[in-house]
Amino acid sequence: MATANPTTLPDDPKLRGDVVLDEQTGGREPLVRGDYTFHDITERVLAVNEKPIAQTPSPFKFGIALAAAGFAMFGGYVGYLIWEGPGIWGNNTPVAWAWDIVNFVFWVGIGHAGTLISAILYLFRQKWRTSINRYAEAMTIFAVLAAGSCVVLHTGRVWMDYYLFPIPNQMGLWPNFRSPLEWDVFAVNTYLTVSLLFWFTGLVPDFATLRDRATVKWRRLFYGILSLGWRGSMRHWVTYEKAYQILAGFSAPLVLSVHTIVSFDFAVSQLPGWHTTIFPPYFVAGAIFSGFAMVLTLMIPAREWLGLKDLVTVKHIENMNKIILVTGSMVGYAYGMEFFVAAYSGNQYEGFTFINRAGGPYWWAYWIMMTCNVITPQLFWFKKFRTNVKLTFVLSIFVNIGMWFERFVITVTSLHRDALVSSWDYFVPVTEVLFLTGTFGLFFFLFLLFIRFFPVMAMSEVKGVMPQANPHWEGYQHGQHGHGASGAVPAGAVAQKDL
Amino acid sequence: MSHHEIQKPTDITIPDTSLFAKLPVIGGVLAVVGLGATLGSAMGADKARAMFSYLWAFESVLALVLGAFGFLVIDITVRSQWSIVVRRIAETMQATLPFFFVLWLPIALIGMHELYPWTHETDAILERKRWFLSTGFWWGRAIVYFVLWTVISRFLYTSSVKLDGLGDNQAEKDKIIKRTWAVAAPGILIYALTQSFAAVDWMMSLQPHWYSTIYGVYYFSSSILVFFAVTTLVSMALQRAGVLKTAITPEHFHDLGKFTFGFVIFWAYIAFSQFILIWYANIPEETEFYMLRMEGGWQWVSYALPVLHFALPFLYLVSRQVKRARWPLALGCVWLVLMHLLDMYWLILPAYGAHGGGEHHAHLAVSWLDFAALLGMVGAFLAVFGFLLKKNKVIAINDPRLADSLAHENY
Repeated sequence: MATANPTTLPDDPKLRGDVVLDEQTGGREPLVRGDYTFHDITERVLAVNEKPIAQTPSPFKFGIALAAAGFAMFGGYVGYLIWEGPGIWGNNTPVAWAWDIVNFVFWVGIGHAGTLISAILYLFRQKWRTSINRYAEAMTIFAVLAAGSCVVLHTGRVWMDYYLFPIPNQMGLWPNFRSPLEWDVFAVNTYLTVSLLFWFTGLVPDFATLRDRATVKWRRLFYGILSLGWRGSMRHWVTYEKAYQILAGFSAPLVLSVHTIVSFDFAVSQLPGWHTTIFPPYFVAGAIFSGFAMVLTLMIPAREWLGLKDLVTVKHIENMNKIILVTGSMVGYAYGMEFFVAAYSGNQYEGFTFINRAGGPYWWAYWIMMTCNVITPQLFWFKKFRTNVKLTFVLSIFVNIGMWFERFVITVTSLHRDALVSSWDYFVPVTEVLFLTGTFGLFFFLFLLFIRFFPVMAMSEVKGVMPQANPHWEGYQHGQHGHGASGAVPAGAVAQKDL
Repeated sequence: MSHHEIQKPTDITIPDTSLFAKLPVIGGVLAVVGLGATLGSAMGADKARAMFSYLWAFESVLALVLGAFGFLVIDITVRSQWSIVVRRIAETMQATLPFFFVLWLPIALIGMHELYPWTHETDAILERKRWFLSTGFWWGRAIVYFVLWTVISRFLYTSSVKLDGLGDNQAEKDKIIKRTWAVAAPGILIYALTQSFAAVDWMMSLQPHWYSTIYGVYYFSSSILVFFAVTTLVSMALQRAGVLKTAITPEHFHDLGKFTFGFVIFWAYIAFSQFILIWYANIPEETEFYMLRMEGGWQWVSYALPVLHFALPFLYLVSRQVKRARWPLALGCVWLVLMHLLDMYWLILPAYGAHGGGEHHAHLAVSWLDFAALLGMVGAFLAVFGFLLKKNKVIAINDPRLADSLAHENY
């Protein structure tokens, strides 16, 4: 029978989230572990949102206070930056691009996992995405905001940034449409717009649930406005599904286009280390790689603290680790191919750049990148490591570090050795650490607010992948006590009233 | 998802009377005549031209077979369900890989000097490339590719065929399937590296001064695209021959069509990435590749490829109706196979004018040798493919995921 109290985990440890089942040669493992009814899912997911403000758990209060402090510090830093100008950074000639661009590429890359999960995995019928898509999409939006703030601020005179937009003006000054930096403006803005629409569309039915369950007026009003009059009628659902599919179709090319154009920022130049034809697909693979790592970094503690271990199971973590392995190996392929072609080309400047990367003054950055991006993810060839949650958490942070350093290696090491030896210089950051920390403050502040006030999981979609959602589910045919005939369905069925 | 209502197909062996049963003979004749004529010419005055035709035909068909190999290792690793009904076709295609060693030998033994200028020319740049572009190392690498391809493709094929005879022996089936999982996953890595370097060795080094890091990915995009197009066509042809008539449904064709459509875009993405970066940076060492393809008639092919290989098929295949209807989908796939041949022609043949013909500029001139070589190469492939297809069942009838594949529906 259905459990009345959804916070009680089932007795059978096999059904608990952290147990790894042997993979079957046929069929599929269940995506939701435990004896849940549809109603239990709602209770589980909304438990975080529906706590009165006064009862917010203290670790959460502590976390958001920390993030808010980081965000406030960022505000101060931005004021200082605008007042003083980018001279407060260590940028020099020839290293005119440094942490500003590194941070931008880092954050915009992080966002790609959200789009991949919500759009590409949807089009590929990967049902396991349902437990993580909402979370990852939120991450996308906040990461793009963090990325945007880096790039908006790096121009120096930020009050002139509107020149980037092709608005007619009396000065007859038009943006340079032949520059990939201009394409970036369009690419990133399109990305933000479509991701926001996609995220919000998915949230509407869940907002309506929150509205209907609201016990205080402000909640009814707040979620009532956000849910746009959703009534859950069949017609609403049909329109919703269509809109979702169309938005998924729109988002799929964005997974490729945004980071492709970011790679153009570097690759259209003639600089050895920047100009190489593999950059577009290599940047896209790297973006997905870093994004999945960030999803894991955020998801592993959250499933623990929010009590969502039956919904985000080890199977989900294992699948994400497989994507980490694949994309990490693609990035490794690109590193290798760059090195190989630098040697193959016989071009001494290409050759010097790559030898200098691995053995020059920034050798440490290169080897941090290689270790974190290519070497340690290879552990995920083994199921034992893929299903080890603690290890995954550590390795996901490694990947975050490695991917930040990748952008550092590309940007700084390619620049610091200019064509003339007299122009060589070494870049040392001055106040940039505060800049990076500040963007983390911004990101986590928004993310924690999201966790507290928005449903962290797309409830209807999770319900859709549960065995009960199948019209031929045995539970209906054999009365209330299902027989679990397919082996994937846990014994014990859903009471009709819960449906 | 109501699997119990779906029956296993019974039309799973090629009837003796069908055209498929005669493929070994027909293909064999084509191979002897076509390749005989090409290689015969290669002994005479037309040696360079004949070898370029031969290389083009070889790379075009090898792309299909390597595409099947790549698809299979990925498909096994992701535990795909929808594809089981067509997977045996891919398994059989890639099982012809060992045979391609024989087809490769003329390139190495007869045409190497004519095809690859680095074998005999020299200058400052080529001297610095000598560590990689030397005859011995080049041979050694090819042997490594073929050994790896042979071992893995044979293993995957025989494992799958073994399942056919096992009936309900689940324990034994599990053992075999889990072993293929263990081989297929590292197989992806091996596939990625070998096909990239094979493309560098046999195609990129035709213009030995030129280099592009995306080249291996370009060859992959062409290769996986032609695989999906040809698999769709073979599935349709098999149904006409009276096999798998109920097993392969419009749902599977829809998925094959989606992949074909997706890789049309992927090909364009990769081709465009290479072009825009080289055009934009405008470095002479790199623009050489496109300069050669912008003269002597080749410019028309260069202009045509984005339109005919991308824009047109994109607009055509975007429709759900087209992907689910037999003749319209077949038309799209035939078109893409032709475009694949044009793409490979554009990659390989301009090098003939540049050095092979001794004129030092490219001239688009189609020769009868192109047709002879292509017919011969396709014949050779079909002979082996047809023989293997007839020898075993055309579907993995005992695969544990077959029921899911038969019941597959798009939403």
